[in-house]
Amino acid sequence: MIEVEGLCKRFTVRERTSAFALKASTRVVTAVDNVSFTAKDGEVTGLLGPNGAGKTTTLRMLSTLLSSDAGSARIDGADLASERATVRQRLGVLGDAKGLYWRLTARENINYFGRLQGLSLIDSQQRTTALIDELGLHDLADRPTQGFSQGERMKVAIARALVHNPQTVLLDEPTNGLDIMSTRSMRDLIRGLKAQGKCVLFSSHIMQEVAALCDRIVIINKGRAVFSGTPQEVLATTGLDSLEDAFVKLIGSEEGLFA
Amino acid sequence: MSAFSLTRLSLVARKEVVDLLRDRKSIFLALFGVAISGPLVVCLLYFVAQSIQGRIEKITAPIVNAQFAPDFVRYLERRGVKVEADPQDYEARVKNGELDAVLVVDPNYATALASGRSVTITLVTLSSRERSAPIAGRLAGEVRSYAAMIGNERMILRGIAPSVARPLQLEELDLSSVEQRSARFLQMMSFYALFAGLMGAIAAALDVTAGERERQTLEPLLTTPVAASELAIGKWLAVALVNLLAVTASMLGFLIALKLVPLGKLGLPFNFGAREFAGFMAVLIPFAFMVPGVLLAFGAAGKTAKEAQSSLTLAVSLVGLLPLISWLRQTKAPWWDVWVPVNGQFAVLSKVLRAEAILPLEWVAMWAVPVLICIVALVAFARRLGDEKMLAGR
Repeated sequence: MIEVEGLCKRFTVRERTSAFALKASTRVVTAVDNVSFTAKDGEVTGLLGPNGAGKTTTLRMLSTLLSSDAGSARIDGADLASERATVRQRLGVLGDAKGLYWRLTARENINYFGRLQGLSLIDSQQRTTALIDELGLHDLADRPTQGFSQGERMKVAIARALVHNPQTVLLDEPTNGLDIMSTRSMRDLIRGLKAQGKCVLFSSHIMQEVAALCDRIVIINKGRAVFSGTPQEVLATTGLDSLEDAFVKLIGSEEGLFA
Repeated sequence: MSAFSLTRLSLVARKEVVDLLRDRKSIFLALFGVAISGPLVVCLLYFVAQSIQGRIEKITAPIVNAQFAPDFVRYLERRGVKVEADPQDYEARVKNGELDAVLVVDPNYATALASGRSVTITLVTLSSRERSAPIAGRLAGEVRSYAAMIGNERMILRGIAPSVARPLQLEELDLSSVEQRSARFLQMMSFYALFAGLMGAIAAALDVTAGERERQTLEPLLTTPVAASELAIGKWLAVALVNLLAVTASMLGFLIALKLVPLGKLGLPFNFGAREFAGFMAVLIPFAFMVPGVLLAFGAAGKTAKEAQSSLTLAVSLVGLLPLISWLRQTKAPWWDVWVPVNGQFAVLSKVLRAEAILPLEWVAMWAVPVLICIVALVAFARRLGDEKMLAGR
């Protein structure tokens, strides 16, 4: 269960007018502006928004990597700011950075995080083996991750995030760069998590994916949550037939890539 | 934040050691580099010393107008100097290095000597060329001793004791022991031992700081309960261990080389036994822990791998330049000398080689300074690891 209330994040950006300018001016950018939503257990919540909308920043704040400038958030009742340790144990995070240790095997990568999450050696090894089976990584498990394909790496990264069996799972664009087969297995995995009664929050800019998976959608644009509700409610509110059209209408522009 | 956990710290340290040692190419190159540099230096010194000695012993004296001074030529030949009469174009050949030094005899040598007048023998050499100096020195010495010999004989013929003409005798008493004289020659060894303690840490420090950013593994790590301080200390211990391996490899390299190369035969009774080895290790162990601390603190600066790399390069050059203070100084070392990191280590290592007693206060400096620097560096490193501004992308 994730409860977010009025979350804000500002960054101070240093800018130069040209590549040769000596003086840099500073500008305050509001990346996340008063975002509120709730993601429930046993549901998949989609964080939808165009590039640069503030999805990753929101997820980074929820995963305790960034502190918020205003507002608060709770994971299963534990406050993000004051109960970081509890929050980190409750959370499984597949963040924006999904890097693995190249020279360690897939098993070692997963096991390392299991141990850091506080699992005993035996528990961590059992859980690692179980995840390797679940994700179909048998053949690769004891090879260094250096030569892995994008999809294989993603599988190891997700196993690493789930190794301590967290109740709440944050996934930042989990299907980015994956082929159709890997995307499908990622979707199955998300549905599986939902069936286990977990709270899943994932971000995406792909409409179809959100439509196929989400029980609730939070649409973010320019740091603000412009809509929160079920996919049906999105259609009802906008009076449109397709989610994609509704998305564009809610964001209030067709600029997209060219904004 | 959760309480500091030794379990997590040791997990981080163990993982980093495994990860670093799997990078066989870098590890091998680093260890091989430091292990081979010691023996190389020793062999180089051996060959340099041997060639200097050989050139002074088997010396050839090119003499212009040698036919006017047959007695002098015979004297030189008796002294083991081969004489080459009338070298062609000698000034140019001295200048271009073909000849080290040439003696020019005055054509009036015989008549002047017979009539008891003073006569000139000119030594032509190039003082700016260092390798010619010992040969020119040997030739000058031979001329002086021949002159003294003739002078003495003349005095004796006239019934005067030669000591009348030499009222003062200069006698040099060199207080440096044999170890001290040869250690000055091999002071480079202290330099290379410190060099090993720096080189061994660079690749590893780069890997656990800049490498972690490059691979984008820091962010997932920071979402686990692991504290920045646990990460910092764990990484530091791992890099220090690799660095200790490098230092040990370098010391073993020296030990083996000094056993095999007969430096004693060349009048360099260089002693590097158990006592020196223990002294070196007592200085190098705290040093091997200090260097990674500093490198990590610098390496963690910057958001990108590139920035981290440049920052680390700065730290390496700082550490590398410090021993030059001792190396180039001409005056007596001031009291604070041993308290300057790297420079102090260099001074004490040189003392170990010279078999001098090391004061208790110097041992304090060898351990207290690294401990203090480590604490400061690790606090800075932990802060940077946990700093949200340092996360990739923002």
